[in-house]
Amino acid sequence: MKLRLHGLLLGAAAFAAPGVVLAANHREAPITALDHKADITDVYAFVSYGADQAPGAAPRKVTLIMGVDPLLEPANGPTVFPFDPDILYELKVDNDNDARADVVFEFRFQTEYQLPGVFTALAGVEGGAFNPRTGALVVPPRITSFDNPGLNQRQTYTVTMVRNGRRTRLGNADGSPFFAVPDNAGPRTLDYEALFAAATYRLAGGISVFAGTTDDAFWIDLGAAFDTVNFRILGSGVPGVLTAAEDAAAQNFASDTVSGYAVNTIAVEVPIELLTRTGRREPAASPAATIGVWATTSRRALLLRRSPLPALDLGDWRQVQRMGNPLINELIVGIGSKDRFSMDQPANDGQFAGFFLDPPIVGIVEALYGGALSVPAAPRNDLLPLVTYAAPIAAPGTPAGPVADLLRLNTGVPATPPAQASRLGLLGGDAAGFPNGRRVFDDVTDITLRVGVGGVLAAPFPGFNPDVNGRLGDGVNVNDTAYRTAFPYVGSGPDGRNRRHLDPGEPGGGPVN
Amino acid sequence: MLALALLLAAAAAVPTPAELRIAQARVAVARTPEQPRPHVELAMAFARRARETADPDQYRRAEEALATALRLAPGDFAARRTRAWVLLGRHEFARALEEARALNREVPDDLLTYGLLADAHAELGQYAEAEKAVQWMLNLRPGNVPALTRGAYLRELFGDVEGALDFMAQAFDRAPLEETEDRAWILTQIAHLHLAVGRLETADALLARALELFPRYHYALAQQARVRSAQGRHAEAAALLRARYEAAPHPENLYELGEALARAGRAAEAEAAFDGFERAARAESDGWDNANRELVAYYVDRARRPEEALRLGRAERARRSDVFTREALARALFASGLVSDARAEIEAALSVGIRDACMLYRAGVMAAAAGDAAAAARHFQASLEANPRSEVAAEARRALQPES
Repeated sequence: MKLRLHGLLLGAAAFAAPGVVLAANHREAPITALDHKADITDVYAFVSYGADQAPGAAPRKVTLIMGVDPLLEPANGPTVFPFDPDILYELKVDNDNDARADVVFEFRFQTEYQLPGVFTALAGVEGGAFNPRTGALVVPPRITSFDNPGLNQRQTYTVTMVRNGRRTRLGNADGSPFFAVPDNAGPRTLDYEALFAAATYRLAGGISVFAGTTDDAFWIDLGAAFDTVNFRILGSGVPGVLTAAEDAAAQNFASDTVSGYAVNTIAVEVPIELLTRTGRREPAASPAATIGVWATTSRRALLLRRSPLPALDLGDWRQVQRMGNPLINELIVGIGSKDRFSMDQPANDGQFAGFFLDPPIVGIVEALYGGALSVPAAPRNDLLPLVTYAAPIAAPGTPAGPVADLLRLNTGVPATPPAQASRLGLLGGDAAGFPNGRRVFDDVTDITLRVGVGGVLAAPFPGFNPDVNGRLGDGVNVNDTAYRTAFPYVGSGPDGRNRRHLDPGEPGGGPVN
Repeated sequence: MLALALLLAAAAAVPTPAELRIAQARVAVARTPEQPRPHVELAMAFARRARETADPDQYRRAEEALATALRLAPGDFAARRTRAWVLLGRHEFARALEEARALNREVPDDLLTYGLLADAHAELGQYAEAEKAVQWMLNLRPGNVPALTRGAYLRELFGDVEGALDFMAQAFDRAPLEETEDRAWILTQIAHLHLAVGRLETADALLARALELFPRYHYALAQQARVRSAQGRHAEAAALLRARYEAAPHPENLYELGEALARAGRAAEAEAAFDGFERAARAESDGWDNANRELVAYYVDRARRPEEALRLGRAERARRSDVFTREALARALFASGLVSDARAEIEAALSVGIRDACMLYRAGVMAAAAGDAAAAARHFQASLEANPRSEVAAEARRALQPES
């Protein structure tokens, strides 16, 4: 039987280099760097602030959004960016403080082609175009609805709500399918706004759903962040530190690297009573008011242990990625643990507590600043509200639960009307913003820098300087596209013909330095 | 003159993949002897050479290179991972497991560390843990070869031979063309799986191809000998096992040679092989890398010393609970008259799922001795279903005949 063992070893040996085999190191975990379709860009969860929510009144609904498939160039035809029918997309909610899902929304997509002979996924021109000799229709009319043949590559999707173990398929009252909004190829081809409106489905029971290629709601000087935290030098003279005026301004002083790019968005708006463990709307002071939200993408697993009848075996899923708080896996989890993080469950996050409560990135930034910035000492218990149910998000009496990367949202805190909201969320005195949930316009980069690196929740501590620690920022303060003020809240996808990526050195793109 | 001699020498024999790596690593070591990485590469190359040649001295060289690497860079991840590998090669499963666990805690995303975990768990008989590690590998990087080959081994142990073949075929398709030994190994494993279910001709053809890819490959020679035995060509089997023993002079290989010689009717030569086997196997019996399972078989089948078989079977079983060690203990218990203990042990082995014709047949014999005719018949039937052309098929059929 020694053959066996050596055999195993040999199988292992196969072509292995002695280095750590982590594959590519990208802006995400290695596994997702190889699987863009399953790459979750952002997760948002907030009390809805649409017109049907009276300002200051008790919250009625919560909106959950996940973005997938990062940095979609809207001009990148011909097949553009369908959702992947092989992926199970899920938005998950924990409502009893154990970091395990109690309510899940599952999204699955299907793709069909209406004109297999046509060269592109989307084709259209006002009135259609005809062969001058034969009169045959060559280009279909401009796409204004999901029935138009020019919407050659058309995606439908299903949504299943799993609540307390019961599965409910959500649907339109008339039984018609949900369509996903395609890429905004350009004004000649389609009426993106009409499609967007038609694809915002308001269902019986107060639930709304949406899926499609939209503006990427996130904004950041990604180039600076990933040039080893090389933020631009602005008015303060210290890179990555804003002046009070810059901080207050609703304009950008550095380039929004995500500008002009689209992302695939999945959104659902839900009455709060469907999400809480009590089945009721809970006031902010209630321990039952705070939920934990995360999103996952999964693919079918190739199972080692097969069913005796594989044809009857539905198989199992392997989780490719998950996301709760922004920037956790990107910035906090060590490169040798990113896949484990992506594939594991939040309830097992105790294994990453070292990263959460003593983030290596903090020491890195401190070192790069060479004395210009003091950071708090580990363990960083001031970061506990991000990874447990704790004040100031959760009400007193809420069980803290295990350390887990969930986006915590107190569903009892009334939404702030957009005009009064602060991009700095809780730090800006806006109780309805990140890290109490996350709205599309919350400046999570600046907030994370100030909370994580600046330690503003741990202040005062030796060396703390509110004008430095409290003013960290990348200089990107606003999105390049207007957000909607109603579900699904994200902006329209940039049009492929006229999109602009704002670069350093051009107006609105900040300096090259 | 020297250059010409080297050139001629090079022309005489194409270096194997491991020889090539050894040469490359030596150049790198000479260039930057103070860097740990080339020493680790050299160690890895020796470990690969150990597989190619079955020569344990290669592991010693690997350990030397690793000691140098770890002196230059204490705690170096790649060096420690290679050390865990060498520990597995030396059958120090518990230590290898300990090291692999530490590595896994440090860098949870390193793919091959899961492979080391899976190997150590499987050899210790901790199959659920082994399965978990391999499933994680499959999830982490779908289609990676180390996961597929290990998954195939576990599928075989779990009784899914066709599934094992499926994984091995995928592994073969993904193995780089220049890795001739790896590809020969995978072909040998595929041949083994076909042979295990009685597809002798398929196995034979695959082994011929494996030996083309990697001439005189000791694994393939052994497997080819098993095909010849199953074909009743015992003299050829003995010749192949002789060649294999010359390439890989381990005691257990001498035992298999003795068995083939006995079947070929060459009693004196068989006797000599068994004598040599017993002497060598006893000498290493207390070490981790031992031939105790073969010794148990020898004392049960040949030397008729059940008490010695039982002592060794229990000692080995205290170290590991894999199905083959359990089967060996079951045989020793049975030979010692401890029938119900024997049955419990072999049933525990079979509960893993393995459908090995010989093991099933032996379970049938033990059940029959215990007076459990129904269980005996079930096992004999299962043995025939697993492999209608196994070496015990005739006896299983006879046992199933109604008594006249």
